[in-house]
Amino acid sequence: MTGGVTRRPLIGLVLPAAVAVLFIAVPLIGLLAHVDWSTLPAQLVSTDVLTALRLSLECSIIAVAISLVIGVPLAYLLARSSLPGRRVIRGLVTLPLVLPPVVGGIALQTALGTTTPIGTVLQHFGVVLPFSTAGAAIAEAFVAFPFLVITLEAGLRQRDEHFEEVAATLGARPWRRFWRVTIPLAAPSIAAGAALCWARALGEFGATITFAGSYPGTTETLPIAAYSSFEGSGNVATAVTLSLVLLTISILVLVVLRDRWLGALR
Amino acid sequence: MTLRARVSTHLGTLHLDCDVVANAGVTVAVLGPNGAGKTTLLRVIAGLVPVGEGHVEVDGVVFDDSATGAHMTPEARRVGFVFQDHGLFPHLSVLDNVAFGLRARGLERRVANARAHVWLERVELGAYASSRPSALSGGQAQRAALARVLVTDPQALLLDEPLAAVDASGRLALRRALREHLGGFPGVRLLITHDPLEAASLAERVVVLEDGRVTQEGSFTDVTSRPRSPWIATMAGLNLLRGSVGGTSFTIDGGSTLVVATDVTGPALATIHPRAVALYRTAPEGSPRNVFKLGVAGIDPEGDRWRIRLAGTIPLVAEVTPAAAAALRLAEGGDVFAVVKATEVDVYSI
Repeated sequence: MTGGVTRRPLIGLVLPAAVAVLFIAVPLIGLLAHVDWSTLPAQLVSTDVLTALRLSLECSIIAVAISLVIGVPLAYLLARSSLPGRRVIRGLVTLPLVLPPVVGGIALQTALGTTTPIGTVLQHFGVVLPFSTAGAAIAEAFVAFPFLVITLEAGLRQRDEHFEEVAATLGARPWRRFWRVTIPLAAPSIAAGAALCWARALGEFGATITFAGSYPGTTETLPIAAYSSFEGSGNVATAVTLSLVLLTISILVLVVLRDRWLGALR
Repeated sequence: MTLRARVSTHLGTLHLDCDVVANAGVTVAVLGPNGAGKTTLLRVIAGLVPVGEGHVEVDGVVFDDSATGAHMTPEARRVGFVFQDHGLFPHLSVLDNVAFGLRARGLERRVANARAHVWLERVELGAYASSRPSALSGGQAQRAALARVLVTDPQALLLDEPLAAVDASGRLALRRALREHLGGFPGVRLLITHDPLEAASLAERVVVLEDGRVTQEGSFTDVTSRPRSPWIATMAGLNLLRGSVGGTSFTIDGGSTLVVATDVTGPALATIHPRAVALYRTAPEGSPRNVFKLGVAGIDPEGDRWRIRLAGTIPLVAEVTPAAAAALRLAEGGDVFAVVKATEVDVYSI
């Protein structure tokens, strides 16, 4: 509740606040104004759009899967153990959130590129990451997985270990406690973290294009396709359609997470 | 079967240093004020808190021994822990909660569920098998928690203030269920409470734990009629004085003397029931031997008996009727004469 003193807003603040709202709204309105609604259905099912969409879904889902497999254990250890150097590890994991994605892409290239030691070993097993679909997924995971770790760690911290203790006194060994108690109780946090992670992976551009390039059907995901058609071929209509798809997905993620994220501010 | 727990551990500002023995088939209440270390003691026995210096064993099986470094994990101890807040898993049905311990010990789902159902019926919750714990009242949830540990057939049952978080309406049924199932449980029964009523209604033996140490043990009647600490005396509503006896004279630590009728000598405790403290406006005629002029420090009206707190050469609480209080024109800050008959002072050695 706002108190009586702040009920009547300062008139001087209204103008910049209105500019702020317009600042976000105007570009989106501009985007919507450019949509050619008559050709939109045909555009949506065109091969270019469908190829980019399929590839984006594929890469982002792999990225979420990678993030779950490595992010859930990390979040658990950060939240529940006295891991040495925990603060440093947390800082390191958070870094991709603020790191320019293009730096992430270059870093991946220098670590996993075909001429690097790791790249050479991978190549030995027939795996080439740079400029491949797998590479695009790895680049997306690199940028997106901190969202999962941070959301889940916060969720785990919200609850103490009480239920794990209860399970222990009932005879449940550590793995059983983890799968039957910790994970189910953390399910809402895992889902929210995965949704955020997925949304970030889907929109990933910089790291992906640097590490994986933009090959239609292989590494050209939705955002990269939108950029290529806009910048390269000057096909504004396709770029707008692709942007509309991304905007719709973003809004859907917001709607799904509204209670978790916007609810906290009410 | 016997539980022995010798524990010496520091936890925050608490120094728990006690030796508790509980035999099977007798419900032992660990009674003490909040912060005395009661819950810590239970958590040590369950293996959730390190024993520090000490030794914990049940039926000859060593759970902890600081001398040998032996430590059994909580899940390996056959101990049933009923938590104050019931601790039912919110993501599981009531039936799955009760079956959890059996499943954890490797029983097949079908068998575990069947046994869990039997226990749910015993605590009169059969109809709630498929409900979530959130659908249960506090008392029902605690009964389900009781069923959840009893179905695993533990060697020792540890109950941490099982009635504390339950509202008055659910308390009666829960206390009845506790009495019934504690009575039918053959193993060690250790109940923690800060409520003497709970101890009186559920336990046969009382161990008083104060500030991490055992100050007294015995039957409830022993403990409350001859308290060895001010806390128990206050709980029992008695005046407790510490001092020493020489002949018929009890010298209270601090100076004043009471005339008593006892054959105890040396250091002793004396209790006086508040109703045995008679109050007078003026010094009474005749020769009652224990007369003290005291100040009225406070008046606590409690129904038809008012408790008058007196301060001065000896601290006493007197109990009078409201009419008597009015006739005496008692007021905080005023003076009054307190008279205690020698035969009303119960003296016992320390």
